[in-house]
Amino acid sequence: MAAYIQARNVNLSFRPANRTPVRALDGFDIEVQEGEFLSIVGPSGCGKSTFLNVVLGLLKPDSGEVLIHGNKIAGPGSDRAMVFQEFGLLPWRTVQHNIELGLELKRAPSAKRGAIAERLIGLVGLTGFESHYPHELSGGMKQRVGLARALATDPDVLLMDEPFAALDAQTRDLMQTELLRIWREARKTVLFVTHQIDEAIYLSDRVMVMSKRPGHAKKAFTIALPRPREYEMRVTPKFNELKLEIWNALKDEIAV
Amino acid sequence: MAEMQTLDLELGATSGTLPGTASRQRIESIALGTAAIVLLLLIWELAPHFLPIKAGTRLFFTVPSRIFATLWEMFSTGSIWAPLGVSAAAFAIGLALAIAAGLPLGILLGRSKTMNAMLDPFVTAFNATPRLVFLPLLMLWLGIGMWSKIAIVFLGAVFPLLINTHEGVRNADKVLINVVRSFGASEWDVARLVILPNSLPFIVVGVRLAIGRAILGVVVAEFFGAQDGLGVVMVRAASSFNVDIVFAGLIIFAGLSLIMTGLVRLLEERTSRWRPQRAANE
Amino acid sequence: MATQPSVLSGFIGRHRNAVLGGAAVALFFAAWQAIFLVVPFNPLFITKPSLIAAGLLDLVESGDLFHDLAVSAVPFFLGLFGAVVIGVPVGMVMGRRVRIGYALDPLMTVFYASPLVALAPLLVIFFGVGLPGKTIIVFSLAVFPFVFNACAGVRAVDHLLVNVVRSLGGRERDVYLKILLPSVLPYIIAGARIAVGRALIGVLVGEFFAASEGIGYAITRFADIFAVDRMFACILTVMVIAIALTEGIRWAERTAFPWRFGQ
Repeated sequence: MAAYIQARNVNLSFRPANRTPVRALDGFDIEVQEGEFLSIVGPSGCGKSTFLNVVLGLLKPDSGEVLIHGNKIAGPGSDRAMVFQEFGLLPWRTVQHNIELGLELKRAPSAKRGAIAERLIGLVGLTGFESHYPHELSGGMKQRVGLARALATDPDVLLMDEPFAALDAQTRDLMQTELLRIWREARKTVLFVTHQIDEAIYLSDRVMVMSKRPGHAKKAFTIALPRPREYEMRVTPKFNELKLEIWNALKDEIAV
Repeated sequence: MAEMQTLDLELGATSGTLPGTASRQRIESIALGTAAIVLLLLIWELAPHFLPIKAGTRLFFTVPSRIFATLWEMFSTGSIWAPLGVSAAAFAIGLALAIAAGLPLGILLGRSKTMNAMLDPFVTAFNATPRLVFLPLLMLWLGIGMWSKIAIVFLGAVFPLLINTHEGVRNADKVLINVVRSFGASEWDVARLVILPNSLPFIVVGVRLAIGRAILGVVVAEFFGAQDGLGVVMVRAASSFNVDIVFAGLIIFAGLSLIMTGLVRLLEERTSRWRPQRAANE
Repeated sequence: MATQPSVLSGFIGRHRNAVLGGAAVALFFAAWQAIFLVVPFNPLFITKPSLIAAGLLDLVESGDLFHDLAVSAVPFFLGLFGAVVIGVPVGMVMGRRVRIGYALDPLMTVFYASPLVALAPLLVIFFGVGLPGKTIIVFSLAVFPFVFNACAGVRAVDHLLVNVVRSLGGRERDVYLKILLPSVLPYIIAGARIAVGRALIGVLVGEFFAASEGIGYAITRFADIFAVDRMFACILTVMVIAIALTEGIRWAERTAFPWRFGQ
């Protein structure tokens, strides 16, 4: 069966004003099955966020192709939504209005928007905060809003670009568990980019290690841990073996 | 490069935000502030009784009570309205033109890096130059009527508006633009959803600064190159040593300025409710 | 393989903004000069860049320009000096002593927001049209930016540093000299940038009234006799000076206090 997301030989270079071009992606291949949770792990600057933006449709590769459900990607679409590392909430909108943003752009009627937003606010655990402004929320709460907003348009693919990087360690752990709970209910295909191997293993079905820039797919690891994932799994020998394997694949790519 | 005076960088251009907003401190600050003003007025009022004033200087000296009496007279006899109306008209027309020109230009400069680079030398040059230096030229071209006044008001007010609007547009968070784009927004949607709300506080600050400059413009234009208006009244009064009228005029101009900028500040606060509280140094 | 960019396009790329700006200015003057090929030229109301340059050269050679500038410069710098010397200490005390700040804030706000230029006629008549009058006008316009900025600068000081000096046995005077003054410096320089503009207005106002010398007077004199080319020459000179002062201070701010401009 053809994979849900297919990237074949994707090349992309950045050409900043009068500096030498930077190759971000070099022959990048990946296949993601429907409903799969796949993490991409790689050193800083390896192009993982760039690839995510290609799937999102905001960046066009120089060559190669990316197919979703057999169709070439030609710009942003309502089948994909992104959760951003810096949250990206419109500061002048309340929580509810932020969540409704995608629905507004799809010209959904306002009653429907409100209903969807309300359900998602409940799903991400922010009941009671509908009329708050982003600056009144903690980092974890902001990211919940980001997640709810991404889910509001009911995309098939959720793209998550280091979504918990801006949170403190404790909040981060909590949010990972929350994400799994929400994902179990929402059942989307997830492409998750992170620096943290622990996080990748805990969350994913598969972990792909990316090389340093120019980035290409180095090695993929299947995470054979049972679902639902429990926090205790993080201290099992199996977890640590996986962690060591992935680290070995990753460490050669990291420049110090 | 032309920089703006906006929320963070224009230091101390207003009553500085006092540390702490506990109500006891607020009462204290209001009380002390009022007391200081009252004290000053009292000292001024009583000074001629205690200090010997040379006969020559007496011509120039006046006291608050006489000034307020003159103010009262100006309003109760209605003699103030005609000149004030003329000044107000020049102010309003000049300011309106400045908004009409400054806002779109500011948006253009914010969106187009090329246009910005090309116009920047001109904006910097005119912003740094005191508009007053153009007054003789404007009088040469436009005469001493309404239009040279309007021109000076316009020149003074257009730059804060232009610069602040530009900064507001430029300042739009790129992450937010990408966010909105990722949901399939068109360029128009991006402008409507991100750039406009983000620019609004900056534009409002621009308006506040423009008001101050516009009033200044009216005053200087009427001092040197006009036939009627409150400023003309003041200059004539000065040359006939009618000091009371000069001070009265100043109070009227200052009062109007404070009222208008105060109203704009209220507007600023209402449009900025979504901003986290910064140490406002504006 | 990317081809090597030529040296020229490399230069243009790196300094794109300056090149675009310079080109725009050059284009402007060229268009100004050239437009009279199609539009009738009335020397009583308008002039051309070539005539302005000639007039400027003339004024420079005859020494008139420098004489007028020198005359204007004296009240300008004197007034500014007075504004710093009085405004900064007042502002610092206002910032440091909270109650004095409370008391003087409203007063200062009213003064700063009022068009104090409106008092210029009085000041001129009282002090005369010469040096004293102009200096007082400059002072009264320039002093308030310094007061406010010094005050804001002091209020923004890290109290930890003040406690450090105290704990080492320093007295109030030491606090002022060793902590407050250095911390306040960037704010004062920023205030200078604003004050310089206002001081220029002060000089011009003083001279427009009834001076007999000075660059402002020169502008009105040339206007009266319709010597439009020389008038423009003087106006441009004032513009250049204003730009030099303001941008010079901005440059000084950026170089001396780079941390204040990271956004």
